[in-house]
Amino acid sequence: MDSSVKGGNVTGRLAETGGPLSAGYLGIVKESLVRLSPRRLLSNPVMLAVELSFFLTLILSIFPGLIPKVTTPSEQPFYMVVAVILFVTVWFSTLSDSIAEAQIRATASSLRKIEQEVTAIKLDKDRNPSEVSSKDLRKGDIIMIRKGDHIPIDCEVLEGIGMVDESLVTGESDLVQKAPTDSLIGGSILRSDTLIAMVSANPGETYLSRLIAIVESSKRPKTPNETAISILLLGLTIGFTIIVAVLLWFSVILHLGVDLSVLLALYVCLLPTTIGALLPAIGISGINRMSSRGIIAKSGKAIEAAGDTDTLLLDKTGTITYGNRTAVAYIPIGGHTEREVGEAAFLSSWNDDTPEGRSIIDLSFTKGYFPREFASIDRAEAMEFSAATRMSSVKLEDADEFVLPKGGKGILQRRRMRRKYIRPDTGDEIDISKGAPDAIRESVPECPSGYDDMASEISASGDTAMAVAVGTEIVGFIRLRDRVKSGIRAKIEDVEIMGITPVMITGDQELTARKIGSEVGIDRIVSQAKPETKMLLVTEEQKGGKIVSMLGDGTNDAPALAVADVGLAMASGTMAAKEAANLVDLESSPGKIIDVVMMGKQLLMTRGAVTTFSIANDLAKYFAIVPVMFSSLPDLQRINILGLSPHVAVLAALIFNAIIIPLLIPLAMRGARFRPRSTMSIFLRNAMIYGFGGILLPFAGIEAIGILLNLIPGGIV
Amino acid sequence: MNPLYVIFTLCIFTAVILSAWFLSNHLFSVFGKRKSRLDRIFDPVDNLLFKLGGVDPKKEMTWKEYFLNLLILNVFQAALAFVILNFQLYLPLNPQGFPDVRWDLALNTVMSIASNTNLQHYAGESTLSYLSQMMGITFLQFTSAASGLSAAVAIFRGFSGKYGGIGNFYSDFVRSLTRVLIPLSLVASVVLVGLGVPQSLNGYLLVKTVEGSSQMLQIGPVASMTSIMQIGTNGGGYFGANSAYPFENPSPISNWFEIFLMMLIPTSVPFLFGKMVGNRKEGSTVLISAYAIYAMNLIAAFAVVTTLGQGMEVRFGAFSSVFWTVTTTAFTTGSVNASLYAFNQIVITAAFLGMMIQSVPGGVGVGTMYMIMYIVITIFIVGLMAGRTPEYLGAKITPRDVKLALIAFLQHPVLILIPTAIAFSTGAAAAAGAGNNPEGFITIFYEFTSAAANNGSDFLGTAGNTAFFNISTAAVMWLGRFIPIALMLSISGSMSSRIRNPSPGLHTDNLTFAAILVVSILLLAVLTFFPFLVIGPVLAYLEGHVNGF
Amino acid sequence: MKIPEKFSAPLRMALVSMVLCGLLFPVVVTGIAEVAFPYQSVGEQATLGNHTVGSYLIAQEFNASVFFHPRNDSASGVDPDITISDAYSQIPGISNATGLSSAILMNTVDKFVQYTMISFGTEYMNVLKVNLYLINTYPGIYSHYVSG
Repeated sequence: MDSSVKGGNVTGRLAETGGPLSAGYLGIVKESLVRLSPRRLLSNPVMLAVELSFFLTLILSIFPGLIPKVTTPSEQPFYMVVAVILFVTVWFSTLSDSIAEAQIRATASSLRKIEQEVTAIKLDKDRNPSEVSSKDLRKGDIIMIRKGDHIPIDCEVLEGIGMVDESLVTGESDLVQKAPTDSLIGGSILRSDTLIAMVSANPGETYLSRLIAIVESSKRPKTPNETAISILLLGLTIGFTIIVAVLLWFSVILHLGVDLSVLLALYVCLLPTTIGALLPAIGISGINRMSSRGIIAKSGKAIEAAGDTDTLLLDKTGTITYGNRTAVAYIPIGGHTEREVGEAAFLSSWNDDTPEGRSIIDLSFTKGYFPREFASIDRAEAMEFSAATRMSSVKLEDADEFVLPKGGKGILQRRRMRRKYIRPDTGDEIDISKGAPDAIRESVPECPSGYDDMASEISASGDTAMAVAVGTEIVGFIRLRDRVKSGIRAKIEDVEIMGITPVMITGDQELTARKIGSEVGIDRIVSQAKPETKMLLVTEEQKGGKIVSMLGDGTNDAPALAVADVGLAMASGTMAAKEAANLVDLESSPGKIIDVVMMGKQLLMTRGAVTTFSIANDLAKYFAIVPVMFSSLPDLQRINILGLSPHVAVLAALIFNAIIIPLLIPLAMRGARFRPRSTMSIFLRNAMIYGFGGILLPFAGIEAIGILLNLIPGGIV
Repeated sequence: MNPLYVIFTLCIFTAVILSAWFLSNHLFSVFGKRKSRLDRIFDPVDNLLFKLGGVDPKKEMTWKEYFLNLLILNVFQAALAFVILNFQLYLPLNPQGFPDVRWDLALNTVMSIASNTNLQHYAGESTLSYLSQMMGITFLQFTSAASGLSAAVAIFRGFSGKYGGIGNFYSDFVRSLTRVLIPLSLVASVVLVGLGVPQSLNGYLLVKTVEGSSQMLQIGPVASMTSIMQIGTNGGGYFGANSAYPFENPSPISNWFEIFLMMLIPTSVPFLFGKMVGNRKEGSTVLISAYAIYAMNLIAAFAVVTTLGQGMEVRFGAFSSVFWTVTTTAFTTGSVNASLYAFNQIVITAAFLGMMIQSVPGGVGVGTMYMIMYIVITIFIVGLMAGRTPEYLGAKITPRDVKLALIAFLQHPVLILIPTAIAFSTGAAAAAGAGNNPEGFITIFYEFTSAAANNGSDFLGTAGNTAFFNISTAAVMWLGRFIPIALMLSISGSMSSRIRNPSPGLHTDNLTFAAILVVSILLLAVLTFFPFLVIGPVLAYLEGHVNGF
Repeated sequence: MKIPEKFSAPLRMALVSMVLCGLLFPVVVTGIAEVAFPYQSVGEQATLGNHTVGSYLIAQEFNASVFFHPRNDSASGVDPDITISDAYSQIPGISNATGLSSAILMNTVDKFVQYTMISFGTEYMNVLKVNLYLINTYPGIYSHYVSG
């Protein structure tokens, strides 16, 4: 949704690859011909049946009098034309597969460019460095990464703490702190410090390669609806085979004068060839549409479940708001001054380089609130700043809750932050803490009057209140303001129009959450969420028969991601989250969960539309062929509503049947037109276009082709 | 046409629909297991029957248990009736001294009645003793209707997901008999006697006519069969001429009363379905779709003027005869009040469509069952276009559901087309008088369509009493009866525990969906049968057989 | 021989249902019918004098030209009715044979008109009813065409 911000990401790069046909037209045609082998068509019974019909007509073209009762030698040219059309029909099908495959290979190779070959510094047992190519690294190797280096391959930090820029891989612009046991993604860049790390994957087996391999794999998992459609197509194929066989039987017994080639033509026309030919391509293209936007589906089920979403869990921070809350005011309380609050806030935030912390420093500077203790900070800063020293200076109440700070995660995961300083004049130790109002209140013996009211007031206005305490005395609040992302309101509206319930989940106070919720149009709010809240919410919704989609990145999210029907993990998130999720967003753009839902719907719609269209087409084909197929029953001419002569009628129907496949390839690749509407209105619109349109269009199409065929001088055959 | 006919038709529809709605309340209390004031009367009766039958009516059954008990019970019932028919000469209540029924005809007859088909290759009045008519035919007419109703309510329970399972077969079966079919038939029998249908065990009466010749008045327990044969959409009559015979259908009033009876339960069951799934509109949608196609069939049949011709009864006239024929096939009853040879081929085409679709509204219980089958297939094909995995009643449609529903759909053309082809290629058709021409084709095609649809009307009649047709139609009737019941019970069994989404995206309880369902059903029927209708009744019509063959 | 448990319930239930539906039900209906509808339950028998001469519901053959004649082509083969237009077409012949005027015969027919749709539709009449009426009304003409 805010892809404009993330210029250098996957989507942007894809455009440079030259589009889907980079494999070359010749390669695609060649592959489509290879796919014509009957063995490769075994998984597609509809097209296999068409190919077998082709072989039969081919035999008839060579030996036109082979079966006396149902063939006529003088019809040889007609048999040849039918054989050619049938061949082309099958070829159109394999061609659509090949185009879709070429397209997805192009996508995969553009994704793969992220992981480039670089020079790495490998350490031997005695820690002696040597330069090697990243391609030669193996799992278990120890490497050294220096400030400014590209991280050569997926690895795990052993020693050191450093700030890493993962934007090349994930699109996330904020630096991420990495400490021992954290994993590093190959392709990202170390911006500070030096790290020692152990290679965790062989080249080609990295997380990214594995994801890309899923995209490229020909063993892509079939989605449940794809399976069901395959069953439907098999059933229809069996049904029409029996009908046509019995019709042949009757024709012989009752002397109805049906020609075998005409019967085979009717057979192929009745078979749902359109959906049979395009079903694989539709699936591949659906996955491709996701992949080209940087979303990798680990299971086919997830793509469809996305379309089925009833409840969408949205994190407030990052998805609905930018998440980099800014301090906008200091509010003193209990007789303290604004300056006291400002100075205390300054001290508490000096080394807090979250956006919030930085904005507090900014605000204090602007207002001129320099604390006396500044000198001691100065000394502290004299030491070279590194993530490691910051780590040692931070003391936290509850170490279990500590998660390395990363843009915008402040309040939810760190309920309270406390720092100690030595007063330069008295040498006394002072203890400054800031945090959520209730967390701070719990830590002090006495709470000033009006504390709760002020906290509520700040929350009710949609801002976040952060309380500041000096020693055991609360001095006031920092008013933090978050910005709602542009365009999110329209997206939420779309989601609601489609009958999906968005749920906003946040660690904020109820009132703050409500304010933001009403601003973007979300009614269901879960505030003051704890890490386990998401998981509970997901299972509760599922018990009520809802399909739940969510997004997550932290280790805390992993259980919820695992149980959610659609769990979209950010590539920038923890490995646990990514493993638990069934979709991974390489760009780590939180708002994309909504796009995933729409892409899922579009895939389902496209399949349903082509299936319906294909079956609806049969009516016209019956009316074109049946009245003219019984040469001994001239009376049937009276229901020949298209008025075409036997040869022309059969060929026109067959040609229509064949060319509709390439005509619909763009639809299969692009997906049926999708606008967020209520499920019922989407359904009705498509039912009119593909259902009723599917019944009527072939009447016109066959008639038009018939007229064109009649223009051929001397007749078609 | 005289507008009075249209008004009359609308009055009949109104009367049927209103009565069916009231009946559905009763059915809901019977099968929804809700307490009723009538329990005081019926509970002791039911408990006695459960005790005599040695069954525990409270035991929840899996779909397999439910189906196997239904099937085995039907086998035993047919076997008992077979014994009665096959040894009637040695059994009481045979005042005419009719000989034993030949085994293949007896087999065909009991399988025909037990499968709710009632294809009759015999003329009852000259073949069956009173005991055979009662303990052979009437008995099976009750039990086959009860089996169909039981299967349907079990399927509804599973689809509704509100009953924690699909229920107990014996409980449903006994309640169908004691609380629905027997009371309704009792009232209807007495009314029919009042309207002139005989009910006597005194033997046929030989009289001297006005001019002194001898005439046999074939009176017997006719009313007690005629009631259940219509109410249970069985259709097998006491007489070979079925409801054309004046003792079965003496007057225009009895005629419309019998039409009312055959429409009653099939019209009521969709309402019951709506109540059991907890959304009455779901039931109305099913009913409206069914009646829409039924009405189309009626309109098509009346589009070509049918004149009172050979094969119709004067007291009914052309209108009532056409109305009956379309209705008896749409409701898969199969009773006839005129010879099928009397009708123009458009009426026959309409009759074919009723039997090919089987759910407009179809027979007792199974009609709605077939409608659910069409809904599953339709929702799956078109529902995806809504951009969601198709759901019905809040439950997602799985690949397995699609597979089973498709088999249930495809068994029908297979059971019709292949035996028809065999009948022609083995010469069996010719032996029964069907030539290699459109008329002959229609005769045999109709025979197997009627058998597979468990309808029972036919062209062949006693001409079908050959070993080939007795055995082949018996097989087709049973497969056509029990395969779909098994498949739909299986879908329902897996549905019963499926998680429901209370607010599905695609709503199936409205007129729009009904319209789409109607188009889909017609399309599916046309896709399967179009070429065969073309070389049958359509060709015969084009060749000029406007009124009869 | 012991019947496996799986089959004992359905077998017993089959026997129970056979007795209930195949015996008790028809017998009860017969009992009610004989008491409530003694005339209808035995086939609406027609009498002439003290003799039963058939059923109004079942057509019987009339050979003499003084009578109205039933159809002989119909679905049941025993259709007791003819349309009024059929009846009118028979009137000249009957008038010739009996000497009764066409007007009298037409009036007679009109007395027995019934309608296929109960109160509208095609007009028809019951042949036996009309013939018995003629026999009873004009005994002088008809008595020697009647047996017994």
